[in-house]
Amino acid sequence: MTAKTEAMSMKERQDRRFINRETQTAARYLRRLRELPGAPEGIEPFYRTLGRIYADMEHVESEGRKVIGTYCVMTPPELVYAAGAMPVKLCSGDYTAFSVGDDIVPRDACPLVKAVAGFKQTGLMPVYEDCSMMVVPITCDCKKKIAGMLSDKCDIMTLHVPTSRDDEDIEEFIRQLYVLMEKLESVIGSRITYESLSEAFRRVGYAQYELSEFIRLKKKTPYLIRGSHAMAIMNSASYMPADVWGRALHKVNESLKKSIAENKTVTAKRLPRILLTGSPIVFPNIKIPLLVEESGGIVAGDETCMGERGMWDPAVITDNSFDGMMYALANRALRPCPCPTFADNTQRIYRLKQLVKENQIQGVIYHVLRGCLVYDFEYKRIEDELGRIGVPVIRLESDYNEEDIEQLRIRIEAFIELIKLKQPAEKASFQRRSFLK
Amino acid sequence: MDKKINNARKPDTFDSEYMEGLDKLFKENADLAEFKWFLDEAYDRAYSAEHKKRDVVILGTMIPEELVIAAGVQPRWIIGGSLGSTAWSDDIVPRDTDPISRSVLGYINRPESDFSDTLFIIPLIRDSMRKIAGELRSKGMKICLVDIPPDRRDVYGAEKFKKQLKEMCAAAAAHTGSKVTRRGIVSAMKRVSAARAALRRFMEVSRGKAHIITDAARMLVGNSYYMTASLDEWTFRTEALSDEIEYRAGRLKNRKRSRPEVIIAGSPVLFPNYKVPFLVQDSGLSVWGTVDPLTMKSSVIYDKNMMRGSMDRLIGNIASLWRRYDASSAYIKNDVIYDCIAYLAGKGSVEGVVYHVLKGQIEYDFELERIESMLSKFGIPVFRLETDYQYQDVEQLRIRMEAFSEMLVQNRYRRERNVS
Repeated sequence: MTAKTEAMSMKERQDRRFINRETQTAARYLRRLRELPGAPEGIEPFYRTLGRIYADMEHVESEGRKVIGTYCVMTPPELVYAAGAMPVKLCSGDYTAFSVGDDIVPRDACPLVKAVAGFKQTGLMPVYEDCSMMVVPITCDCKKKIAGMLSDKCDIMTLHVPTSRDDEDIEEFIRQLYVLMEKLESVIGSRITYESLSEAFRRVGYAQYELSEFIRLKKKTPYLIRGSHAMAIMNSASYMPADVWGRALHKVNESLKKSIAENKTVTAKRLPRILLTGSPIVFPNIKIPLLVEESGGIVAGDETCMGERGMWDPAVITDNSFDGMMYALANRALRPCPCPTFADNTQRIYRLKQLVKENQIQGVIYHVLRGCLVYDFEYKRIEDELGRIGVPVIRLESDYNEEDIEQLRIRIEAFIELIKLKQPAEKASFQRRSFLK
Repeated sequence: MDKKINNARKPDTFDSEYMEGLDKLFKENADLAEFKWFLDEAYDRAYSAEHKKRDVVILGTMIPEELVIAAGVQPRWIIGGSLGSTAWSDDIVPRDTDPISRSVLGYINRPESDFSDTLFIIPLIRDSMRKIAGELRSKGMKICLVDIPPDRRDVYGAEKFKKQLKEMCAAAAAHTGSKVTRRGIVSAMKRVSAARAALRRFMEVSRGKAHIITDAARMLVGNSYYMTASLDEWTFRTEALSDEIEYRAGRLKNRKRSRPEVIIAGSPVLFPNYKVPFLVQDSGLSVWGTVDPLTMKSSVIYDKNMMRGSMDRLIGNIASLWRRYDASSAYIKNDVIYDCIAYLAGKGSVEGVVYHVLKGQIEYDFELERIESMLSKFGIPVFRLETDYQYQDVEQLRIRMEAFSEMLVQNRYRRERNVS
């Protein structure tokens, strides 16, 4: 065997090993999700999507349209749809890609960026290879530097996210959206018109409407759905066309309404209600919500950008012109966003307090991905603020591997026990007898 | 050093680190009369309790100070560099924050600090600066943010940056109560150009003259730009120091170059934390120069053409030239550092590169891979030196640095043998 064929076969072996490990991990987490009781009817399309992308490593079902990769909720999907393409969020939670990326990017970079670098390096993940272009909003140092790395491998466009949200910043962002629009038009080869943008608003708006309905139902007590299942639904939104996702969510909403009518709940027990906030939780790295729910808690609220926050805020059009629609997109991307990229992020505290109140939250898990400095910086202030209203907060730092699972489990179990001790005891299931009579 | 630490408080890590650094530099360069002024400036900067009214403080170094000077005030710089001051911010920042940001925030939180009448100008070159800005704002401090567009390919980038600089200039003028005029900007451009030219000349004349001035002392002269209260005096003293070095070098000619020459690139090395240059010189290496944001800033020198036109044009010229030489970590790719190292490597000026990465400054670490692969084409080895402001790792670093030094000596021997 020549050195060349030997080298090639080594590459092939490495690729095969990568594919095996990647698909096995994704399949394992999908299985854990399926095994978690209480999944609503209609959840299967979401599982199928996650399975297709990660466990089967298949292409995105883009209905024949070009695919545009995005890295943050600040890229308006409406613009991509209006250009006739499909947006796909490329932030990844993959452990295998992370281990590849670990050798390419600096040790202290965040695991999300390592996973992205790993996928791009191997060139094996169809969802990354399908992208005609990638849009990278610069929200942190890691995103900034990964944009530089990706620019050597594919066509990228960066969005400069301002540090505050005043009118001038919005104007500046609109200008960038116009540049993005031109870039999309040249990459995709079609024009964004008033009609196509309006249609894109309707498409995304429908998905957002169904999401708001879903969140309304999710707030009900006793619980109709587990947080881990909700996270799977939210994560799959990254890889499904908005209208398809919206229709699938509509079915879930219908089944949840049916559950209310039939008085069917996930559990009869009163489980501690946990809010997840901090660094994004991206499939297959869903160990934290799974651990919470396997340890006897329920993820009742989610303030992460790959979760409900990612699609929650609708674009509000106050001026029906094309410019008005662009303004609505910029406004939606920046004004309500509690991302720690902003220098003054007081509104994140208001948002968290609102979520605590609306979802009757009893404890907050503050998730920090190792190296995610912007979220870590805000922890102390949030801990103080939530402490003042009597809500305990636990900071969980984790990485994209399974080595810390048992440590995390112990800490989560202790946290849940602490909350249980605070809540009044549940009524016994049988009538207590009095032995004194 | 005949100065005494301010007796208002008990000496702590901050004091001991500062004084040890100054004492060492003084002992190593005792014969150099003009150098003593720079030591005094460094001392005064650390222990001056004076807080001027309507003070303007710049966090970090990556701001064109000419626009602040045009607003009628010599800015004070808080650039980090001290282990002692990191202790004052330990409870505020996350564990993984880089030492420069820790040190900057610590210095602001120093017990005797009073920044009540201060405008902070903060360049948003990295995440921690953004969060420091939020922290200061939440404490009610007056801040002005300069948001640097991260992509040099951005068609509106230069314009956006110009707008930021205009706003900064206006904020500084409003704070000091002076009016910024065209003439004021031209005067400031001339003064900073003269200072940067003086620094460049000093770096040229002092290169490879370790028997006259040590490498760490050369770096202190560069750092003292951010410590001085009088820019013009600093320029004058730097020129005088260069003259003295030239004069002494003339008398001590024909000194054979013996030490392998390296450049220190990456994260900036800031006084008083000079363990890297001290280690380099202790290991038998000679610092040809540094390639970091501080050094690259000295390339921003305005010619006559750039100082012509309206005020708007002047600010535009400052913005465009600044953006060309800005080697900070604000960009998706740090092409300025890369190109400078490539140029030096191509010229054959250096035999090795010490790539300094301060823990937490991943932006510099990200650049290492492509720099390494570029240098490998020239056969120049790179030594990645990751550290923070603690001193516990000095001995480990010394062993690694000595091994690197030996390798460079071997390389030189092999090269000379091949030539002969």
